[in-house]
Amino acid sequence: MDIFLQACVNGLLMGGFYSLMGMGQNVIFGVMKIVNFCHGEMLMVGMYLTYVLSTTFSLDPYLCVPLVAIIMFFLGALIQHTLITPSLGTKSFTNLLFLTVGLGLLLSNGALVLFGSEYRTIPTSYQQTFISLGPVNIALPRLISFCVLIVITIVLFAFLKYTTTGKQIRAVSQNPVGAEVVGINTKRIYILTYGIGTALAGIAGALLTGFYTIFPTAGASFGFRALIVVVVGGLGSIPGAFFAGIFLGLLETMVALFVSPSYSDLIVFITFIVILVVRQLIILRRK
Amino acid sequence: MNEKYVKAVRRYHRNLTFALGVILLIFILIPLFVKSPYILNIFILVFYMSTLSMAWNLLGGMTGQNSLGHAAYMGLGAYVSCMLITKAHINPWLSALLCMVVVGLVAGVIFFPCFILRGPYFTLVSIAFGEALRQFIINSTFFGRASGIGLPFKKGNSFLDVRFTSKVPYYYIGFVMLILVYLFMKKIERSRMGYALRTIREDEDAAAAIGINPIRYKVMAVVVSAMVAALVGFFYASYTRYIDPELMVQAKSTESVLPAVVGGAAYVEGPLVGGLIMIPLSEFLRAKYSAILPGINMLLYAIALLAVIRFRPTGILGWYMGSKVKNFVDTVILKKPPVEWFEAVEQERSGRKEA
Repeated sequence: MDIFLQACVNGLLMGGFYSLMGMGQNVIFGVMKIVNFCHGEMLMVGMYLTYVLSTTFSLDPYLCVPLVAIIMFFLGALIQHTLITPSLGTKSFTNLLFLTVGLGLLLSNGALVLFGSEYRTIPTSYQQTFISLGPVNIALPRLISFCVLIVITIVLFAFLKYTTTGKQIRAVSQNPVGAEVVGINTKRIYILTYGIGTALAGIAGALLTGFYTIFPTAGASFGFRALIVVVVGGLGSIPGAFFAGIFLGLLETMVALFVSPSYSDLIVFITFIVILVVRQLIILRRK
Repeated sequence: MNEKYVKAVRRYHRNLTFALGVILLIFILIPLFVKSPYILNIFILVFYMSTLSMAWNLLGGMTGQNSLGHAAYMGLGAYVSCMLITKAHINPWLSALLCMVVVGLVAGVIFFPCFILRGPYFTLVSIAFGEALRQFIINSTFFGRASGIGLPFKKGNSFLDVRFTSKVPYYYIGFVMLILVYLFMKKIERSRMGYALRTIREDEDAAAAIGINPIRYKVMAVVVSAMVAALVGFFYASYTRYIDPELMVQAKSTESVLPAVVGGAAYVEGPLVGGLIMIPLSEFLRAKYSAILPGINMLLYAIALLAVIRFRPTGILGWYMGSKVKNFVDTVILKKPPVEWFEAVEQERSGRKEA
């Protein structure tokens, strides 16, 4: 029973990251209808950015989070402005897809060229601190990360729901032409959206550095899980993405606990395919 | 006057055949002059990666279904042929045929329900399928888990066993494979299936409305594409004589797509052009700089990909088709007559047939 509770908590804490990644992907996919295949690499960039900031200025990794978020926002905005917006005009899904795939390659291999393939960590004084809640032990960095995640989720939800810019983003995601007609600058919204998406991935990366190793392909598994979260949680839904991420984290740890840790990836992927097909069948049935 | 047209058109066709013959001859003669196994290895790499890219192009370029899981079909093909050779002691050539059938069936059965998914969702399924397959092999004792399986090493050469000590026979086998697959793809492009696939790419609903069954054609495309990828897997396994699940990683699937996208995904020749340019360049960089700067070759790939998509969205071949270079090659080297002449000759011919 204790092991089960521990696994639940671990799944919950990991799921938080999938949620955060999924939310970023969801905002991008919802507004521009493109799948951002370099989302995982953005997380990796966030990790390296935190590494560079914390080693050069000897900052605590958690203090780097706002800085990383701002830098990543501008990086995303730059990419959107120079690469994605011009290609959006061609309406070619293939090109947009390989544009983001190419960006992913560029970022992960760029990191390999710059930092080499060594595994890096950011040592902190509280790395090995555990907090006991009844039978469950929680590593302090994971707990802090999870709390920050919750705060960011709420802020993002409120931003999209109540601010004018948030309402504009939602308007563009529902109907870009209609949004343009009522005077919303869609290009600006696209830049903002991609910036927010990459900033969220960067934040996830920065929060991960507390207890995760940094290497050039660290983002790959998170990137794909973000896509799963988007599909399972529903397009454009922030709460949906949040719960889908938690569900994914729990599914992984439960499979690892009851079946075998080495099967957890296999089962996650198969579940994903089944969910996709069943979901589409339901949509077709409704029509 | 007509006589002049016919002669000009005939001369153009003769020039074209001659030019293609020269290119073919150059490739046939290369192993006679190039003795370095390193250079031959690069050519072999170009051959099988371009073939894999052509397989992808049938599904991605022609049908518009962007798969990112082609390394999985290739890996599955390699695994099935290796298992047949090592466990069932089947002749490798026969195993090539069998592995194509098996992989074709697996792809057809798995993707049959997945073809109700469109656009990005299909891409996601192809990634998930590739990863699931890789995880399955890593966890399966029968397939040798993560350590992979090797083909038996024996002394000497044997054509029947596809086992050679020199790289030259592999060069020719790879080249023949490339040419055959190219001719096959060209045949598909001009067939009823090719037209159906391109219609589906442009507008699936319109295709369904004019009586093309999209699911049926898409399944056909995925089966053929997977079979060709399996053939490449067989070639890879017989060439390297050792395979492991790393063959199926996501990055390999992306690598198999790059020649097609850089070369021009709308053309059957796109993967050939892209492969011939990108792979030697990448290998050169890998050999030269990988000790100092690992990943530099993939970085170049990425930059080339981004540059092509951003500035020449139709790829190198798409750019060539509308460029002055093509104009020069056509009029000065091949002496291509104006289009009207072709039409006149064509009309003459059909008129003669009717008479």
